[in-house]
Amino acid sequence: MTTWHVPDDDLRAYAGRGLGPPLLWSTETHLFSCDSCRERLASLVPVDTGWTQLDAALDAPRPGPVERLLVGLRVPDHTARLLTATPALRLSWLAAVGVTLVLTALLAQAVTPVVFLGAAPLVTLAGVAVSFGPGVDPTHEITVTSPVHAFRLLLLRCVAVLSANTLLSAAATLFMPGHGLTIAGWFLPSLALTVATLLLSPRLGASWAAVLVGALWVLAVVWAGMLPFSTAGQLSLLAAAAALSVLLVRRAAVFDVLPTRRLR
Amino acid sequence: MTLTSATDVAVRVDGLVLRYGRTTALDGVSVTLGAGVTGLLGPNGAGKTTLLRVVATAIRPDSGAVSAFGHDALSGPGRLAVRRRLGYLPQDPGFHPSFTAFEFVDYVAILKELTSRSARHAEVRRVLDLVGLDAQRGKRIRALSGGMRQRVALAAALVGDPALLILDEPTVGLDPEQRMRFRELFAELAEDRAVLLSTHQTEDVMSLCRVVVVLDQGRVRFSGAPLELAGLAAGRVWTSDTRAPGALASWRTGTGAYRNVGDPPAGASLLSPTIEDGYLTLVDLRSTEGQR
Repeated sequence: MTTWHVPDDDLRAYAGRGLGPPLLWSTETHLFSCDSCRERLASLVPVDTGWTQLDAALDAPRPGPVERLLVGLRVPDHTARLLTATPALRLSWLAAVGVTLVLTALLAQAVTPVVFLGAAPLVTLAGVAVSFGPGVDPTHEITVTSPVHAFRLLLLRCVAVLSANTLLSAAATLFMPGHGLTIAGWFLPSLALTVATLLLSPRLGASWAAVLVGALWVLAVVWAGMLPFSTAGQLSLLAAAAALSVLLVRRAAVFDVLPTRRLR
Repeated sequence: MTLTSATDVAVRVDGLVLRYGRTTALDGVSVTLGAGVTGLLGPNGAGKTTLLRVVATAIRPDSGAVSAFGHDALSGPGRLAVRRRLGYLPQDPGFHPSFTAFEFVDYVAILKELTSRSARHAEVRRVLDLVGLDAQRGKRIRALSGGMRQRVALAAALVGDPALLILDEPTVGLDPEQRMRFRELFAELAEDRAVLLSTHQTEDVMSLCRVVVVLDQGRVRFSGAPLELAGLAAGRVWTSDTRAPGALASWRTGTGAYRNVGDPPAGASLLSPTIEDGYLTLVDLRSTEGQR
């Protein structure tokens, strides 16, 4: 039988979940076999503290699956929370996007790859349109007046939406074998269309900007067929995305306040 | 920055002009805010919400100057400095309906740069306790009454103990007891900070405000103590047994007698004016001026 017992300070730290390894492991091992230390532990845990901890645990926000995934990918928990407040990063939305892209890929494989290449950027555009802005984000006015720069939040969300849609679109292309690199031709239009939508959103609102840009894209694809997905087309889209991105960064301050033309 | 005296100026607004297309929402508005509650009264469409939004750095005016705590609130760095000291309750605070009260306030706390999880959660509990929602922390916002949602939004505004509180009609939808509790809270909060309160409740103004500003058609019509506003109706409020046809307002009270505001007849039995009477008189003066 051992004559050594866990010191009071360590027991208090253990009770308060403040004891780290390796002391934590040795303390737990000792507590397993020592009645005396277990009794002291019970007396050292103030009832109020226990209730407070339980209360805090019950209140604490419960992250959803996407938020847990982001935290698992080392995204800070506060950033993950800001990102997943948008419906476009909820599991239900992402599942719907995944199913839509797979069905589109199957249809495109049977008809023409243009169907998928033209539709995938529109799906991304829909995600961007519901991610930020007045009339879309219910807390937009509070967001704009907070110290977190609204433009930074906008970019964070768009990057997250673009990334999620890129992964899902890439996965959906597995249902379209035999097209080589051409089948990745949806990526640059997604990027260019997203930036164009963001540029127009202070004037038109995110939803209408996405509708306008999406409609122009559909017309372009119907008119030009595979041309936007050729090497020349992709280089043009890359140049457009780069030029629009420069314009967007220059106009970053516009996102820092509410657009007064939309408050009339 | 903590405001230690009523004469410390927290916010200075000078010559604000803001137009929505052809509509002039603010037409040369100048006000200063110090410690204590400044009430903003005015009819619908007077420009109250626009003024609050400008001071809260939500919108930019076409011209004029806004400074808060020594920072130019219209410049980028100054705006950020003001936002770090600001608590803002918009007229129509939006909620993510699937959030609980705790989650919503936690979300706003993240927006206010409280990144440490444990410190943030402690702050969220503090402000929810402050507005009397400690028992409803875990409830979904969509399951809360309108009054409780308003309290959640107020709690969010109080995160970080802001030195400047801007509250756009915070007592709308509250029952009398809740309003009384809000008054107590605002009075306590205003001891060492500036509170700009837009309201239609003249009782709130009378009981809370050090200064009242009346805004109409985008212009400041009055700025002074609530008693001074009430004083505008001195000698213009009287009681009678029948409705006074020429009065600005005439209504039968619970006692059966009529209370009238306007130009009293000779020998009328005058009453002490309230802030509401003063406001009515001010509105009448404005329409008289408009007819000239």
